[in-house]
Amino acid sequence: MMDDGQTTTGLRRARDPFSTHEAMLGWVRDIAPYGIFTTDTRLIIRGWNEWLATRSGLSADEVVGRSLADLFPDLVARGLDQHFERALRGEVAVLATALHRYLLPLPCSIGENPSGRMLQTARIAPLASDDQIVGTLTIIEDVTQREVHAAVLRRQQEYDRLLSESLGRLISSEDPIASVAEIFPRIAGPLRIDVYLHFQFIADEQELRLHSAGGVTAEVKRTLSVLPVASTASGAAALSRRPRVESHVQQSEDPLLETSRRLGLRSYAVFPLFAGDRVFGTLSFGSYVRDAFTTDEVEFLAKIAQYAAIAIDRTQRESELHDAQARLSRHASELETRIAERTAVLHETIAQLESFSYTVAHDLRAPIRSLTSFTDILLNDFAADMPMPAQDMLARLLRASRRLDALTKDLLTFSRVAREEVKLVPIDVDELTREIVSHSSSLPEGAVTVVGPLGRVLAQRTLLGQCLANLFDNAVKFARPGFPPVIQVRSELRGSAAGSPAAAAPNPNPPFQTALSSIAPRATGPRLRVWIEDNGIGIARTDHEKIWGIFERIPGPSAVEGTGIGLAIVARAMQQMGGGCGVESTPGHGSHFWLELIPAPEVTSAA
Amino acid sequence: MELTLPQKDALTELINIGYGRAAGALSELTGFRVTLQVPKITMHRIDQIGNLLAHLIEGEVASVNQVFSGPIAGNALLMLDKQAAQALTRLLCDDNSLTNSFESAEQEIITEVGNILLNACLGVFGNLLQVHVTFSVPRLQVSDVGGVLRSITVESDELQYGLMIHTRFQLRASNLTGYLVIVLGITSFDRMRRELDNWELRQTQ
Repeated sequence: MMDDGQTTTGLRRARDPFSTHEAMLGWVRDIAPYGIFTTDTRLIIRGWNEWLATRSGLSADEVVGRSLADLFPDLVARGLDQHFERALRGEVAVLATALHRYLLPLPCSIGENPSGRMLQTARIAPLASDDQIVGTLTIIEDVTQREVHAAVLRRQQEYDRLLSESLGRLISSEDPIASVAEIFPRIAGPLRIDVYLHFQFIADEQELRLHSAGGVTAEVKRTLSVLPVASTASGAAALSRRPRVESHVQQSEDPLLETSRRLGLRSYAVFPLFAGDRVFGTLSFGSYVRDAFTTDEVEFLAKIAQYAAIAIDRTQRESELHDAQARLSRHASELETRIAERTAVLHETIAQLESFSYTVAHDLRAPIRSLTSFTDILLNDFAADMPMPAQDMLARLLRASRRLDALTKDLLTFSRVAREEVKLVPIDVDELTREIVSHSSSLPEGAVTVVGPLGRVLAQRTLLGQCLANLFDNAVKFARPGFPPVIQVRSELRGSAAGSPAAAAPNPNPPFQTALSSIAPRATGPRLRVWIEDNGIGIARTDHEKIWGIFERIPGPSAVEGTGIGLAIVARAMQQMGGGCGVESTPGHGSHFWLELIPAPEVTSAA
Repeated sequence: MELTLPQKDALTELINIGYGRAAGALSELTGFRVTLQVPKITMHRIDQIGNLLAHLIEGEVASVNQVFSGPIAGNALLMLDKQAAQALTRLLCDDNSLTNSFESAEQEIITEVGNILLNACLGVFGNLLQVHVTFSVPRLQVSDVGGVLRSITVESDELQYGLMIHTRFQLRASNLTGYLVIVLGITSFDRMRRELDNWELRQTQ
């Protein structure tokens, strides 16, 4: 080895075998941003570049000629000398920062590395000359900056992960404050926080009540259970709706921080929990060991508080909504009950009225019959002894009493129809019509013609019979003077084109006027409509609605008798059977009444 | 050209010796017990290696590649799929701050592990076969299998072979699989077979 005494730094010039590498290393050492040193096969340092001299504070003169192990005993202690041995065997070693932190203990180039050492990656290679390994060559790279940046990035990622996890929890939580209590232990470590306090803001009392806390003893919790808004940092944050971030709390003389100082906190951050105008309380975090939070940490905590506030607001609103819905549904059910009660009362009243009218009609009949009978006897047996005016009066009395009798009879029928329990069974309309015609005393012989089979309906026999009889009766009563009544009965299926015989039957007399008055059937679906068409006086259009009311009689020839209840009975009976009825008529051209009912199912015969 | 059964046995034994050394170095380095196993060694023509690896490794691979020279010369590679590489760095480093990234620090770890493994393997080769081998600086590449193989294929008229060493890392109750591929020209391959025979002979003497 030659020491020319001129080079005090940089790689030491040496006689062969190092001289072959000397030229190359000479310029590499100046331009490369790396630490470069060489050793001989005994691991005595032979070259030491300027970079290393600057970083280590050891000049080349101080290190060249000294053993690597003597100079850096730490290297041997950490087992790193084996990599130099490997190089001497011809291997190239690479040393990762993550596994070794550093090769040579050099001071840190930047102030942010907590260990205070320069973080390094290193390559240790054999130094060969003429195919002989003559020593080792080591290149050191300072990766402190890179690692610090990476650590910052990792911390940021960790924050982001924690934040998204925490926010996810808060947003979906039924009880956001309980969630804050759950989140706290997870964030306390990474953020180096020791304490959290959640106060509820009681506006009326102007005080803060401790709701939950972490990192404080039960004793401390008791002392913090109620705080005045006026004299605390939390109170100030709640009132102003602004966060307060306090550093160096122990040195502060701010009276608002008295509580925090007493707790021994060195840094303290309070975040108001509010949404719009509503202040729910505060969430605060503190550290016993750190004098200040970083901006990132404050931002992080502010987000937690902000989401907690949103979640509290949401749960409060949900609970209010829930209450409102409960009130509404309670109100609705009360209304329903009231309606049901009133309907029941109404039904009872109607039943009482109907029962009353039945009783009246029923009880009136006996005296009316006496009246009629005795008047009749008087007229027949004692007329000869009476003057003519008396006879005439008696005749009038008899007519009036008969009329009264008819009226009470119809009233009785009406109230019976109204009260009757209806049971629908299949009824053959043709057969019923024949029966009504044959039993009727008022119908002239051959007045009624039935067109085609009329079909079968679901009805109550007595009610439907009553309806047909009343309509035939009407047709006779309201016949045109001089024209014997002609009544035609036919049917048609409506609401369905099903091939029933009634439906297939063509309408021989299409209505010349559309129905103006009718009682609509209750159910939808196919209906069988039975037409009862007469050639009587007809009904004026304006009266089509009136005729269905009780005691409604339209003005007509005085000779026409009637109680005015017949059609009311028809309407009521049809309604009872779930059917409908109506009329189409023009004065002078007869009336076409119709009754509509549900067709009875086809009877399938075994034959 | 194939390896005879005794040659294959000899090779497996040699590699196991090398892996023993590497496992020792890794255990010492990390403070955890690391074991390395060689379940299988296969020999292929270089053009078949790509397909073979593509079936075994999906997506990106981290590969550490070191050229070696001497009487037996070639290119040695350690290939790990990215998940295995990330898992390995986390397991070795015992540092929770390492996240799912595969940045400089993680790449360096894989480079060092690859370096230890490749050197141990080839070093033992050199020693036991009594041939002197020198190594280049290890180079890490993150790419797909095709990209890795393209980058190491040397322009050569010589027929090239790939020695594929299936490698299982066991550490901290985890199992990770990697592939060590040694690419040799036919001359080196020939020489290796001869040296394997010699070694076999020496063992029996």
